[in-house]
Amino acid sequence: MNSMKEEFIGILKNYQGILHKVNLIYFRNPTDREDNFQEIVYQLWKSFPSLQNKNSLGSWIYAVSINTSLLRLRNESRIEYREDPPDSIDKTDILEELSKNEHCSLLLKAIYKLNEMDKSIMLLYLEEKSYAEIAEILGITLSNVGVRISRAKEILIQNLKNC
Amino acid sequence: METTEFQNAWKNIDSEINLKSTDELNFILQTKIRKTMNKFLIIFGIDVIVCAGLLVFLTVTAINRQADVIYLVNNSLLGLITLSALFISLFSLKKLQNNKSDLSVKDWLEFRIRLLSGWLSGKYSKLYIILVPILIIMINLSIHVYYEYKPLPEVMTNMESVFGQIVGFIVALAVSLYALKKIRKYQLKNLEYLKSLLSALQ
Repeated sequence: MNSMKEEFIGILKNYQGILHKVNLIYFRNPTDREDNFQEIVYQLWKSFPSLQNKNSLGSWIYAVSINTSLLRLRNESRIEYREDPPDSIDKTDILEELSKNEHCSLLLKAIYKLNEMDKSIMLLYLEEKSYAEIAEILGITLSNVGVRISRAKEILIQNLKNC
Repeated sequence: METTEFQNAWKNIDSEINLKSTDELNFILQTKIRKTMNKFLIIFGIDVIVCAGLLVFLTVTAINRQADVIYLVNNSLLGLITLSALFISLFSLKKLQNNKSDLSVKDWLEFRIRLLSGWLSGKYSKLYIILVPILIIMINLSIHVYYEYKPLPEVMTNMESVFGQIVGFIVALAVSLYALKKIRKYQLKNLEYLKSLLSALQ
């Protein structure tokens, strides 16, 4: 159990950037991001023992992170209100930091205007994932990936013009 | 902003992310596991306490009314239904927690839609419309007859008792159906949300 946990934490440490980025495109509030981060970690831990192919760790982490975030978005109205954010939340918010970079800030604003599925597709595209990887994570065909990316890109460009 | 610029801008995000240390990740995992266990135990505890309380009541009242056969049948049936409800609720809770979030997004959406559709429009989804009124009548009878200190057939011939039963039945039925309708409405919204996500992916 302990060796499995150590292995899991090791993987999580190397791949935690994925969790942060999925959080970033779906949640603007730092408290929601922190709560969702914890939930993703828990969902990853739950499915870790049944993980068959450890060569596609990235795809597994993306899929779990996106699925967990989508479910949380639906339940967002039930998220408890906290006056003081938990101590574990970073004092400097990433969104504040990114707002100093004009391009980043514009890009994020445009991404926030996309629908939930297009956000995931755009994230995977920006992360320079191959079509095959995107197809595996989203569970759609390769040809559909191309169509979805170009459509999401068009909307993103339109959103950027409006920003 | 051109397409290649998107990706370059996105790369800047990596440098702004505050990565968590091994200790922090360990702490997050342990805290979340503990929280989830506590949540499960609280729901499980309430479920068991309510059912156990009802079973104790049914047993004690049945022992005190051994001569009243109809009353004994009523309490026995209620006991059986309570036990079944306890197992079904625990099974549902376990099923709900089995999120299968490691599936691809499309498969996961289809899995959740199947699960919710089964509850909301499956074979037994409307069973509550029949079961709830029957259960209310049986519980009302069990409590009312016991505190009347008379056999069940005798209580049912008393107009005042029958009137009280009818009022109690209507109030309890209205409250139960309102609560169930609220839950169903919430789950239907969930189902619609998942279906909209799936159609956005297709």
